[in-house]
Parts: sequence; structure tokens; C-alpha cells
Amino acid sequence: MASISSRRLQKELKEIKTEGCPVGITLLEAENFDKWLFSIEVMGESQYQGEAYTLMFRFPPMYPIESPAVQFVVDQTHQSPVHPHVYSNGHICASILGTDWSPVLSVVSVCVTLQSMLASCKKKERPPDNDQYVSRAPDNPKKTRFHYDDDTV
Amino acid sequence: MKVTVKHWHAVATWRWDTGTDQQTIDEEGDVCGICRVPYEGCCPSCKMPGDDCPLIWGECSHVFHMHCLLKWIGTAASKQQCPMDRRTWVTAERKVAPTR
Repeated sequence: MASISSRRLQKELKEIKTEGCPVGITLLEAENFDKWLFSIEVMGESQYQGEAYTLMFRFPPMYPIESPAVQFVVDQTHQSPVHPHVYSNGHICASILGTDWSPVLSVVSVCVTLQSMLASCKKKERPPDNDQYVSRAPDNPKKTRFHYDDDTV
Repeated sequence: MKVTVKHWHAVATWRWDTGTDQQTIDEEGDVCGICRVPYEGCCPSCKMPGDDCPLIWGECSHVFHMHCLLKWIGTAASKQQCPMDRRTWVTAERKVAPTR
């Protein structure tokens, strides 16, 4: 039997294909129900004007009861946006990806939240503990217990 | 003219009474926010819609497939909160709406 996640993701994918994504968000790859890639661009005036970042979703079989693992792609050709809540390895400190996840959220709603997190950024800088975190970070950002200490950006 | 009915087929449709009027349902579609399957369908773990895969109402007025909601409430991550408004989930007594 198809897992819970594949049934729900099938519906989300169909909606993305028929209705499209919000402006600035583009589906890059959804070949299976384990991993999807999106491109995120901040529209209008912002610190990230003209920049595009790749967001990777990895889905556990119990999605959406369980939250997806979401991070920016960092490799030879991709970088993570410089933002106080985004580590240089692509990991993101955002409460909706952790303790504030809700199963009524969706892939697109997460993309929109992260897009507006970038849009509201006043100053491009890394989290203060970036180097320390990146040196010992697990592969899966869900294994990190982030401390959400700032809800202004 | 005299007509004799020899044979007839009864056809019926059903839906859960969620307190939402038909027009709103036609416009927005009425789906479980967790699995995104219509209330009249069944949750991803069931094969047959109907009494075996019922709905559950919260005091906060939000409605889900019972199985979907219980899966969520069963996780530590849920903190026993309604997925829609994050208020503590309290299952509502089913109020029977007056028949239209």
C-alpha cells in the first residue's frame, strides 16, 4: 500500500502542476516522493534581489504527520542565502520546521514562509554560532534541536 | 393513460454533516486538512469510506478524519494541539444540526 506521504504528496504535486506555485517559487524536481527541489527567489526589493536559492525537501513516510526535512542546497554550484537563521551548510532555524510543524502545512506553504523569512531580512549575516554549528551538524537538520530565539525576521 | 411502474432503481448520495452549507462545499471543497482527502473519502489508512472512517470534531470547530487527527495527536510533536489553530485539542460532543 502506498505510504501516507506518497498519497498526500501526489495531491500536492497535482495542485502545483495545475495551479502553479506562488511567484518566485519554482518546482525544479519531484521525481519521487522522497525528495523534491524548489527554487526560491525573493520578489521585489530585498537583500536578496536577483538571487535564487535551491530548497531541498526530504519526506519521511509519515509526512505530513511528521515534518519534512528542509534545507537549502549547498554544493559546488549552490550556496545558502546569508541570513541570521540560515547556516552556511544550508540548515535553517525556523520553528515551523521543528516544534511548530503542523500537518495542515504543505510544501508550498513552507516555501512561502521561507521566502518571506528572506524578504523581511534587514542585514545579511550568518547566525552567530555558524562555524561552531556547521562543524558538528548532523546530515539531517531534523536531528538538530534548534533554539528559536528570534521571531523578528 | 395508465402507467404501471414495474421496476425502479433508488440512487442516493451521502455526506457528513459538517455544518458547512452546500454552496461553500462546492466552492472550496471540503477536505481533511491533514490528508487532503474529501471528508466523504477515507483517510489514507482505510479502504472504505463511511462509518468505519468517521470524522472528528474539535471544540475549536475544526474537523478532520478521526484516524488522521488521532495519528497526529498520538505524536509528541503535536503537543495535543489542533493542527489548524494550535489550541489544545478537545473533542466536541457531536451536535446534531437540525435537518434541512
